[in-house]
Amino acid sequence: MCNRSVGLIARVVEAVGIATVSISLAKELTLAVGVPRSVFVKWPLGHPLGEPHHAAQQRTMLFAALHLLAAAERGGEMVEPGYRWKRETYGEPEWSQLTAVATRSQEPKDPDA
Amino acid sequence: MTENRRLLDIIGNRLFAIPFVTQLWSRFAARASVEDASEQVPFTPLRRPLSRCRVALITTGGLHLSEQEPFDMSDPDGEASFRMLRAKLPPEQLTITHRYYDHRDADRDPQIIFPLDHLRELAERGVIGEVAPRHFGFMGHIEGRHLEILTKRTAPAVAEMLKQDRVDAVILTPA
Repeated sequence: MCNRSVGLIARVVEAVGIATVSISLAKELTLAVGVPRSVFVKWPLGHPLGEPHHAAQQRTMLFAALHLLAAAERGGEMVEPGYRWKRETYGEPEWSQLTAVATRSQEPKDPDA
Repeated sequence: MTENRRLLDIIGNRLFAIPFVTQLWSRFAARASVEDASEQVPFTPLRRPLSRCRVALITTGGLHLSEQEPFDMSDPDGEASFRMLRAKLPPEQLTITHRYYDHRDADRDPQIIFPLDHLRELAERGVIGEVAPRHFGFMGHIEGRHLEILTKRTAPAVAEMLKQDRVDAVILTPA
């Protein structure tokens, strides 16, 4: 099934040294497969980024994915933004926030740590 | 027979489009899962700030170009091959071959499974560094012997191409 396939592919890509983030529409399955980073939404299959021609919603999901990509500190992290299907109002994400996350994760590690 | 099967597909796909049903099934599938969850989850930290990352997309939504060979729908266990989708693809050629989910919405707007236009705009705005030259489409109904083909052959082949393209990060979308 699609959500398992995504997880298996993500694991292979991550293992060669490329960071991945997956959208999940099937929570328990994604957790069982051991997906490196995932954003879970309880939405209908076939709609990982939301509704057709709903750019703000689609970009909000992309924002959540990119945010996790930069912020995750270990394999298997899943975030759940909790967006309800067709019952949310979406605006343009604050893209500048991503720069802040990226900068934080790029800071040199404490050598004594 | 064919007509009955088509109807069954439609009923099944409509049923699975209900999030509650999907989650119930997901719980069941997780228990029956062949994967060993205790196995270490691979992890590669992002190498550089997002604003300097080259980003690629992988979808299992059965997306391909109309000029490419469609995914094989004759095997009930699906198939594990992939279609390469170049960043400069003609959008009107994007099509979906996937019997196992309701893709009427994705047919209307492929961005909901393959957000290449959004990615391009994010690169123009400097949110990400750049869009990778090659992206990949799988048909995610992969069962039985095809699972090993996926994990041992086709997914590693894609990973190798992503490395050749010096991709820093990949966003994956299921169907």
